[in-house]
Amino acid sequence: MRANFIFSEVWIGLRRNLTMTIAVIVTVAVGMALLGVGLMINAQVSNMRDFWSDKIELSIFLCGKNDPFPNCENSSGLSDAEKIALRDRIVAMPEVQGVEFENQAAAYENFKAQYGADNVLVSAVKPEDMPESFRVKLKDPNSYGAVVAALDGAPGISNVVNQQDILKQFFGLLERLRWAALVVAFILVIAAILLIGNTVRLSAYNRRRETGIMRLVGASNLYIQLPFVMEGVIAGLIGGVVAASLLIISKVFLFDSVQQYLPGNSALAWSDVASVITLTMIFGVVICVLASFVTLRRYLRV
Amino acid sequence: MIHFDNVIKVYTNQNRPALDHISVDVDKGEFVFLVGPSGSGKSTFLRLILKEERPNSGAIHVAGKDLSRLSNFKVPHLRRRIGCVFQDFRLLPNKNVYENVAFALEVIGKPRRFIRKVVPEVVELVGLEGKAHRMPDELSGGEQQRVAMARAFVNRPMILLADEPTGNIDPATSIGIMKVLDRINRTGTTVVMATHDAAIVDSMRKRVVELEDGKIVRDQSRGVYGQAY
Repeated sequence: MRANFIFSEVWIGLRRNLTMTIAVIVTVAVGMALLGVGLMINAQVSNMRDFWSDKIELSIFLCGKNDPFPNCENSSGLSDAEKIALRDRIVAMPEVQGVEFENQAAAYENFKAQYGADNVLVSAVKPEDMPESFRVKLKDPNSYGAVVAALDGAPGISNVVNQQDILKQFFGLLERLRWAALVVAFILVIAAILLIGNTVRLSAYNRRRETGIMRLVGASNLYIQLPFVMEGVIAGLIGGVVAASLLIISKVFLFDSVQQYLPGNSALAWSDVASVITLTMIFGVVICVLASFVTLRRYLRV
Repeated sequence: MIHFDNVIKVYTNQNRPALDHISVDVDKGEFVFLVGPSGSGKSTFLRLILKEERPNSGAIHVAGKDLSRLSNFKVPHLRRRIGCVFQDFRLLPNKNVYENVAFALEVIGKPRRFIRKVVPEVVELVGLEGKAHRMPDELSGGEQQRVAMARAFVNRPMILLADEPTGNIDPATSIGIMKVLDRINRTGTTVVMATHDAAIVDSMRKRVVELEDGKIVRDQSRGVYGQAY
């Protein structure tokens, strides 16, 4: 096997079909970048799930005086004994891991911490306006159904807020983004396959004299086909490198910049990005090789 | 060297067989003219030897190999033992004489030192010494055919197939081409040449196999082209 012969053939082929080669590189790059973004959103979501799963709690708000909730009409709030009874009842539930009571002062402090001390809203609210609540931590954040069913609408309870619901909306948004990225990536992969097929066909037509003579003098199939497949591989690799830089840019400017609006640290690690890049590169090159091979079978008689 | 036994070849979409019960033997070192009108099956005969086509029935042996048992994977190795020359030369226009001949060795993975040694020898054998660096479009038709013969012969094949090698060349130049083919034949290479050229066949006095409508109508040692043409 003479490597420099193969490589000079590959170089000639790539140069002759420069525009087609560029089209292949661009399509592969954008397709692989979108596939990579889809995978990165996946990693991001699972990172955030891990981060949130032990912090998620149910908030069971108690009726205060003159609360506007329908369940609190004519209620003047629970007495201390009733609160203790309610607490015991919650603790007895099999799904519950622990319960914290948040009084009005603590609720006000949390509220201030969340919005900042100099916020207009904070200055308009007094500690007496804050509702008291039980903060319930569940053994499994997903098994909230029974607890919510038992407590929602019970006397003295204004409403039950499941933090999981709020996160679910956010995860749902990410999920939709991921699907959008994957669908566009899929379409682009098909476009890339067709483009590669066309490039190989053009290339085979341009070099039909050479391949005809190669066949005649007894060059092996590998020798005849390898330059064409290598063209695909090189276009795929260059596309993969472009996709990798797009993914690195999206990690720095998209994923990391979103992080600053989220509490806690669930940022993507560089090792996640590296494995996504490796995966998309391998995928891109494999697609290019398969597409060239299949078209070669049709257009290059051996 | 070449052995056809009751070979039938029918192309798809055609009723008439291109070759109809052909049995013929060509021995090592023989020079055989294959004559007959267009469409009589000469080219099909040559294509079957190269395993570019498969017969519908019958057996073909080339260089001791049963072609029906030769796997596709090994066909290139068969073709390395067979040289081919065509009416239209089939040179690479962007390579010079030396590179055209060397190409045949490069693509079967011969080492460069070997190529540098044998290519000038063969270029000289076909009478192109001093023209190794000319491009094909700087050569006459006869010279281009010599390059094609050098390329066909450079790997020292056991068999040389020539499909109307003088078809595009004037009679005077054709004599030179035939001399080269004769020289190649004298090295022990079996030569099978399909041709229309009566003058050449008559002058060479070699074995003549005549095909008509896919059948052998004449097989004559030291023959002539025939009166009918």
